[in-house]
Amino acid sequence: MDIPIFAWVIAIPIITSALVYLAGHLGKGPRGGRISQGVAFVALLITWVPFVLAANEVRLSGSIELVVGTVSLYCDGLSILFAAVVLGLGTLVVLYSGPYLAGENGQEKYYAMLVAMIGVMIGLGCANDLFDLWIWFEAMAICSYLLVAFYRERPASLEAGLKYLVQSATGSVLVLIAIGFVVSQSGTLNLQELRATIQPSFTVLVVGALFVIGFGVKTALVPLHTWLPDAHSQAPSGISAMLSGVVIEAGLVAMLRALSALATPIHSWSILLLLFGALNMLVGNLMALRQNQVKRLLAYSSLTHVGYMLIGIGISLYVGEGSAAQGGLFHLINHGLMKGLAFLAAGVLLYTLHIQLDDHGPLIIEDLAGAARRYPVVALTLSLAVLGLGGLPPLAGFMSKWQICVAGFETKEVLIWALIVFAALNSVLSLAYYAPLVNVVYRKQPSRVVQQGGPVPISMSIPLVILALAIIVIGVWPSVMSWLTSPAGSALLAAFS
Amino acid sequence: MNLSSSYVGLIGILGLLGVGFYGLLTTRNLIRIVIALQILVKATLLGLIVAGNTSNQINLVQSLAVTVIVADTVVAVIGIALAVQIRRRVGTLDVKELSTLRG
Amino acid sequence: MITWLVCITIVLPWLGALAVWIVGDQHPRVQHTFAMIFAVSTGLISLLLPAYVSEEIVLRLPAGGIFGEFTLVADGLGVFLAMVAAVVGSLAVIFSVDYMRGEAQLGRYYALVLLFIGAMAGLVLSGSLLLMFLFWEITAFCSYALISFHNDDPKAVAGGIKALIITSLGGIGLLAGAMIARANFDSYQINTFLEQAPKLPSDILALIAFGFLIAAAAKSAQIPFHTWLPDAMEAPTPVTALIHAATMVNAGVYLLARFYPAFEQVPGWTTAVIIVGLLSALLAAVMAAVSDDLKRALAYSTISQLGYMVYAIGTGAIFASQFHLLSHSLFKALLFLSAGAVIHSVGTRDMKQMGGLGKDMPFVRIVFVIGGLALVGLPIANGFFSKELVLEKGLAHGPLWGYVAMVICAGITALYTLRMVGMVFYGDRRKKERFHDAPSAMRVSLSVLSIGILSSWLLAGPFVDLMIRSLPFHHLEGIGTGELVMEIITAPTTWLALGIVALGFFVWSLRSQMKPLVARMEPLATFARQGLGFDWLNLQIVNLTKRSASALRTTQTGQLSWNLFGVVAGLVLVLAILTTGI
Repeated sequence: MDIPIFAWVIAIPIITSALVYLAGHLGKGPRGGRISQGVAFVALLITWVPFVLAANEVRLSGSIELVVGTVSLYCDGLSILFAAVVLGLGTLVVLYSGPYLAGENGQEKYYAMLVAMIGVMIGLGCANDLFDLWIWFEAMAICSYLLVAFYRERPASLEAGLKYLVQSATGSVLVLIAIGFVVSQSGTLNLQELRATIQPSFTVLVVGALFVIGFGVKTALVPLHTWLPDAHSQAPSGISAMLSGVVIEAGLVAMLRALSALATPIHSWSILLLLFGALNMLVGNLMALRQNQVKRLLAYSSLTHVGYMLIGIGISLYVGEGSAAQGGLFHLINHGLMKGLAFLAAGVLLYTLHIQLDDHGPLIIEDLAGAARRYPVVALTLSLAVLGLGGLPPLAGFMSKWQICVAGFETKEVLIWALIVFAALNSVLSLAYYAPLVNVVYRKQPSRVVQQGGPVPISMSIPLVILALAIIVIGVWPSVMSWLTSPAGSALLAAFS
Repeated sequence: MNLSSSYVGLIGILGLLGVGFYGLLTTRNLIRIVIALQILVKATLLGLIVAGNTSNQINLVQSLAVTVIVADTVVAVIGIALAVQIRRRVGTLDVKELSTLRG
Repeated sequence: MITWLVCITIVLPWLGALAVWIVGDQHPRVQHTFAMIFAVSTGLISLLLPAYVSEEIVLRLPAGGIFGEFTLVADGLGVFLAMVAAVVGSLAVIFSVDYMRGEAQLGRYYALVLLFIGAMAGLVLSGSLLLMFLFWEITAFCSYALISFHNDDPKAVAGGIKALIITSLGGIGLLAGAMIARANFDSYQINTFLEQAPKLPSDILALIAFGFLIAAAAKSAQIPFHTWLPDAMEAPTPVTALIHAATMVNAGVYLLARFYPAFEQVPGWTTAVIIVGLLSALLAAVMAAVSDDLKRALAYSTISQLGYMVYAIGTGAIFASQFHLLSHSLFKALLFLSAGAVIHSVGTRDMKQMGGLGKDMPFVRIVFVIGGLALVGLPIANGFFSKELVLEKGLAHGPLWGYVAMVICAGITALYTLRMVGMVFYGDRRKKERFHDAPSAMRVSLSVLSIGILSSWLLAGPFVDLMIRSLPFHHLEGIGTGELVMEIITAPTTWLALGIVALGFFVWSLRSQMKPLVARMEPLATFARQGLGFDWLNLQIVNLTKRSASALRTTQTGQLSWNLFGVVAGLVLVLAILTTGI
């Protein structure tokens, strides 16, 4: 059988995850962890080869389909965009996690789960069947439950993991109910065939609502977001970066794929997305405003950024124009880079200031005082990340927000204009908690923990520098990403029409 | 199966969903919460079968149901494992006491 | 050639920023030297710019897709402000060598100052609205980062964040305007906008016009967005002189001047601009007259003088506003820098603890008085010519009430300037110890600025000529320097204004006799010291936001059943929305 190249992008990580787990048992204790990490890293590096080939193929032909038995895969621009973010962030997180986890038990499980989750998420982006979508989604969720509750001895970590599991599982039950409805209405679960056959009816509205809420738990739509700050703050920092940078976006991608099958009341879906977008921005900002734990603050800011993506995509569906969705997806990439960087940089400080000293308390803002003098690179990259998230030019976040806003104004609809101004106001509001973070980092008087802090391992600094450079390059030259965003935007819009 | 059996099925589904959601929202015991989740999944399984039955796709939904059972079991196992760990580390199974993360 | 010059003016300081940062804080002497070399060479190169002024686009960088084309244009308006930024910037850096000696984290200081100089030049040389907005926000960022340079001081941090938030809030006006323009013309080019604006529907154009006015008011610290500027005085003084007196705060005035031809016809816009300028000029002058903090008094004076420029634009006197902008940049930079020399020496900003410093610091006294003369608007100093021009044009083309208010304001200006000079350099000594006069690097900057103040008005003729040649949409009248001077000297308004200024001096001289009256005015003065209620309003908004944030945090209860209730409630909500039919 002729297997298209993109299937390897999904298969390599999933298959090697078993290898990663087994390799961990070759060495005893920390050495096993290092072997696992090495295998995982190499596997992901190898995955880049088929990815580049697949991306090129999709660029030339638009989309590739593959049906193996009952599993149907469909790789289009959106899949490629999402795969790029997942693979990019994933590779860096594997590199980063080495020192962070040194001394922990069960590292081989961590790397195996992480690599498997990467493969599964790429698969999720390619799902072409409602039930497959659910399977990919559930598989990703299972990997992430285990990763969030990685610190099995810590009560807070267990609490966060359990809450995440129950809330997320409730969401996937809702998706299953929706699939039940679809089965009763239509003879197929294939997304494209469904779109062609399904008739607008009340049931379709109910199904859509179930999809929005079911996948919305993972996307952290307000008021379904309550698991997010706990999970993001308690997970190992590399996993926080993955959760915030790609996992919640995976929920968004799944929601869009599912809704695209019910394309008929497109107007309703777009308005729902816009409403949730506005709500997410405001609630996320206000919740982050008075937060004093760094990772929790960053977690809440993820709500806000999901809001921007929703608005971009919502506007696009509302008017049937691709540019806002391109902006929203561009923001997905940039948010992955910026929030990934922010979590990783905060994680470095958490590691040097707390974990290395066997202290498992949270990293609070005051701990960062004076970090710039001891850890100049970490401080600079953290500042760049949060300022980029706040939307200051010439950093990546500004450009994607700008693209969403321009596209919003091009609709020439007063309500959308008002929404964009609201989004811009929220962006300014977010500076009220990002900027103080930068101020604290650059204080002269170091905090007690900074004075005691240990050194930063080089393998943790490399991902920070790479991400920071990416943020600046995209900020200065935004069209460098248009090879990903513009096919993805048009693929998304095509799926809905 | 005929129409009346799918009515019975429907009533069963609604009943199970009701029990499941009621359990999720009111129970304080972790194990019971996992059980409530299981009840919800069973309700949807029944739903899938009824839906497949009414639209003559029983083969399709049977394969779906088996897959769902597998995936769901994994989730239940992880849930129970977490509950066991929580009982060990925190010393309680009461979710009301598991609210150290807030604000 | 011009392409290179423009690029060098923007990029050279940025390279300098990088260089200083790379050198590292272990080598402060090298950092001082590097910063000076880069800043001064940028300043010198920028002086070549006027030779190549034109309305043509000198550089195009296609940014792709929705980001349009980044373009740079070196026309009269832009070149002159870029020169101000580069030259005053280099003087501020020279001044810093003495002022910042021994400070920690010099790398960050110089990197931000140099980044600012490049960004400011970029802002005024941009031909595309997106690029302009980009630089607009970078300058706001530099301003924030430098205000809160002393991060350990909570007041500095609060001041910096306040400045960032208020200017970005205003920036939304510019953002919206730029995007509406793009949506209508499919282009960000400013000149396309000026050319096509009359074709826009009037309500859309009005929206853009008032959006830009909000942006300008926030950036130029005009009422009601002015509250950030007095709080920005926590910045190191050279930064204040550069960013919060000579350059960034002028960006708002520049914006209005640049787009005036497009908005001129919008009903109510010019009146709104006049009112904003007038209120800022008057109220800020009153606040300056009661402030005991030397830098805050100067900050209020800056708001007041910016009010003059905004007022001038409202009356259509573009050249007058830009001419006053030039004068103000020089004399206010001088005033701030000499105030910096005083503060550096005395160690406080409180004027009540100064007094009689003239004997210890004769040099600083001379330059401060020169700056004061220009601020009041007395002959020979550049402020005289530019302010009289503003007033004359205001009477000729603007409403009478505006003119009357601005003349009164000139009187108050004289009053507060005298009060400042008196409290700092004359009267009884409050402190026993002797204070050192300005060190050599400071003297260089102060002398150059003093010479500029006494001579920059000679450039009026060439300056207007540059603008006429390169601004096709502004319809300016040409006038030679000699003609201009004659016109000002012979105009009755000049003599009226000088009379009012004399009245201000007179009132000051009678201050001991008027004690009872002053005492009765005390409640009003207290109110003015508290910022005339604007600061209160600010605080209320901040507190409201904080309170609602705290209240919202209680919704994160940490209870699992509550979390699940959220999911169910969300489902019900979505179903309700969908069934009500949207």
